[in-house]
Amino acid sequence: MTVMAVVPTSGADAGEQFEQLYRSSAADVYAYVASLLRDRAAAEDVTALAFERAFRRRALFDVHRGSARAWLFAIARNAALDELRRRRRTGALLHEVADASSELDEDLDSDLAERRLVVREGLAALEARDREVILLKFVGRLSNAELARVLHCSESNAGTRLHRAIERLREACGVTR
Amino acid sequence: MSRDELNASEREELAALDRILAREPVGEQHLELAALVDSVRAGAPRMDPAFAERLDAQTAGRGARRGRRRGGARFVDRLNVRRLALASGGLVAAAVAFTIVISSGVFAGKTVQNGVALGGHPRSGVATLLPAAGPRATSTTQAPVGTTSGPTAATGQAALGGANFSATLAPNARLVHRDSTLTLASAPAAMQGVANQIVLATERQGGVVETSNVAVQGSNSRASFRLQVPSGRLSRLIAAVSSLASVRALNQNTNDITDGYNQEQARLADNVALRAALLTQLAAAPTLTAQAAIQKQLNRVEARITAEHGEIDSLLTQGREATLQVTVLPGAAVKHAAVAAGPFTTAFNRALHALEAILAIALVAFAIVLPFALTALALWWGATSVRQRARERAMRTA
Repeated sequence: MTVMAVVPTSGADAGEQFEQLYRSSAADVYAYVASLLRDRAAAEDVTALAFERAFRRRALFDVHRGSARAWLFAIARNAALDELRRRRRTGALLHEVADASSELDEDLDSDLAERRLVVREGLAALEARDREVILLKFVGRLSNAELARVLHCSESNAGTRLHRAIERLREACGVTR
Repeated sequence: MSRDELNASEREELAALDRILAREPVGEQHLELAALVDSVRAGAPRMDPAFAERLDAQTAGRGARRGRRRGGARFVDRLNVRRLALASGGLVAAAVAFTIVISSGVFAGKTVQNGVALGGHPRSGVATLLPAAGPRATSTTQAPVGTTSGPTAATGQAALGGANFSATLAPNARLVHRDSTLTLASAPAAMQGVANQIVLATERQGGVVETSNVAVQGSNSRASFRLQVPSGRLSRLIAAVSSLASVRALNQNTNDITDGYNQEQARLADNVALRAALLTQLAAAPTLTAQAAIQKQLNRVEARITAEHGEIDSLLTQGREATLQVTVLPGAAVKHAAVAAGPFTTAFNRALHALEAILAIALVAFAIVLPFALTALALWWGATSVRQRARERAMRTA
């Protein structure tokens, strides 16, 4: 499994290292946040905020506690959950994420396009907690230990949650094994 | 089996998932999972190009701003917060340990000298007894017990009052008064320092300076003290004062005053009995003239009883407290650890004293700050926990 080992805290080229982290993670962080919030404008704000916070707090990053990527996803998760709380308080309206990938699907063969559509709908039908685990693993590519750190649970619990979430996704997509 | 435990096939599937995400080959039975991963990743929301550009610009701007930061800020960036906290904790612990060692008296012999080495008045209250004296200045101050203002007298009296003596003498006990004279010789230049140290040594033994007379006048310098300490601490005071300069003479007198005390007690008992008899006679007196005569006798007996009470108290005080008469005469400068230290020792002592003071202040500051810091830490931890719970709740209800 490829995990970024970028340490954005120290050394003269810390700025470059942070930029490297940004380049490798920005799209995935956005995908994760947008799936969680289901609101494009809010996802953009939260993604920008997550990188801003990560940059400000880079001195607090500890390489022994996980990869920079996991640390970044934890920051993004907190920012997204804060946004969810704010939205619940203020009753803000959702601006559903536009189906950006559907445009590309036209170039794919119909079976693949249909399967992706089914999976997308299945994922959207999942509970937020399950959807989050799937996204952190599939999109964030975090190890189970990093997943546990981001979700504030034990590693075995993270593994169990992940496996159950995959099972529910399969059910939601009507996949049989 | 725990709720969190997975069976072998489930664990194998998670391992396969890690291999899929790492783009490593997996077995046929996991191709469905690989397709699922691919679909999820392909279907994940993508950034709007305009937003991606804005975010790029924002990140690039941040990097450029950081490039212009000063060297100090870069240094702070390089510091690992945890290491910094550990180092600070270690420093504080070392400071506390060092302060404990200092205050426990390991360096007591050295620190005693500090008053001399630094000059001036090392403790408050001494000023009332020992006025500052220049090379040609002459000063004479007398401070009788009980009238001296300032902490010297106060602490001394408190210590004397706390001494382990009873107001009356136990049966078969002896009442002894100890009285000593000590003559020291000191270099004229060190006279003032020795005088200061004598006062400090007396305070440390819980005594008081009854009278003091310090005259700093070159080769005619002279100092004399009459010190009063609890009887049991006289030896320690003599040892402490003797260590300050060369001892020329030491005279120790022990006077058993038990007989005088017993005689006074007997006289008191007689007079009390006489007073009782006179009171009986007074009650039975037939005439006014007889009554007046008895009353006159009664008054005289009362006066004697009062005087005898005073005498008994005085004897008890003498037994409780010892006096030490110290005279410091000018003499040849003798190398002495306490007052005739070399420049390096003096510098060391000064540095040690300064360090001691700094550490004491730091310790006090630490003691004040610690409760606030712990409270702030607890509040921060509580707020963080509450916020995290609220976030998880938001996730559940999303």
